[in-house]
Amino acid sequence: MPDALYRGPPEDGLLIAPLDAFTAVYHRASGITHLLTEPAPHILAILQERALSLDSLLDRLERDYDLADGTREALAARLDELVEAGLVARL
Amino acid sequence: MSDDTRSDQDPIPVAGPDTGSAAGPATGDSAGTPTRRRVLALGAVTAGAVVSIRPALAQTVGSVLNCEIPVPDPSRAGSYIDPDGKTVPARTKGAFPPSPRAFKGEEVKRAMANGSTLPGTDSQRSRAYVNYIRRLQRGQGGFTCFASLQMPRG
Repeated sequence: MPDALYRGPPEDGLLIAPLDAFTAVYHRASGITHLLTEPAPHILAILQERALSLDSLLDRLERDYDLADGTREALAARLDELVEAGLVARL
Repeated sequence: MSDDTRSDQDPIPVAGPDTGSAAGPATGDSAGTPTRRRVLALGAVTAGAVVSIRPALAQTVGSVLNCEIPVPDPSRAGSYIDPDGKTVPARTKGAFPPSPRAFKGEEVKRAMANGSTLPGTDSQRSRAYVNYIRRLQRGQGGFTCFASLQMPRG
């Protein structure tokens, strides 16, 4: 697919609270709370800084973490979920 | 600017760099507080890492209880489930075949709350499946759904 870019909301657009296994994320724009599990909060944090393509995001995650299963497919699935939840925009 | 997809500058705050640069401040605390390079699992394609809670209570319940838990996780499709809930090779004696369909959060909640059997199962099989669901770890299909069932509703 073409290189779509993904972008998260601005920093003040979310209220984030770690809750043991979850990270609760309140999205001010929609008034919806989301419960995220790893790696969604990490992805979201990166995409709040800047818009990235799928490949750039994967590079970034590989740089910052030891990815246990760093497949492009899995990351695409995580991104799709975040897009569907309205937390990440596909540009 | 933000479209610079190859920029190498300003390292992400969520994780510290790989060498022990004194306690990377780990500002991405939403995700825990990694102070050094850590392992991150992207999870199975089908795992699911997001559950949304709608503002209205009725919708909240619907959203959580309509999520689904496959038994077993699609990444282990075909595995049998032993009575303790562990996945074992297909046709293992004493273990149960995979469920032909995923269970709804509501069905699982009910089975856990009052010991009723999951739809389409007898009591032993249901117990094995419930044990499997209790053992789910993050990154596995259904974990988010299962874990959200544990959240009190107010």
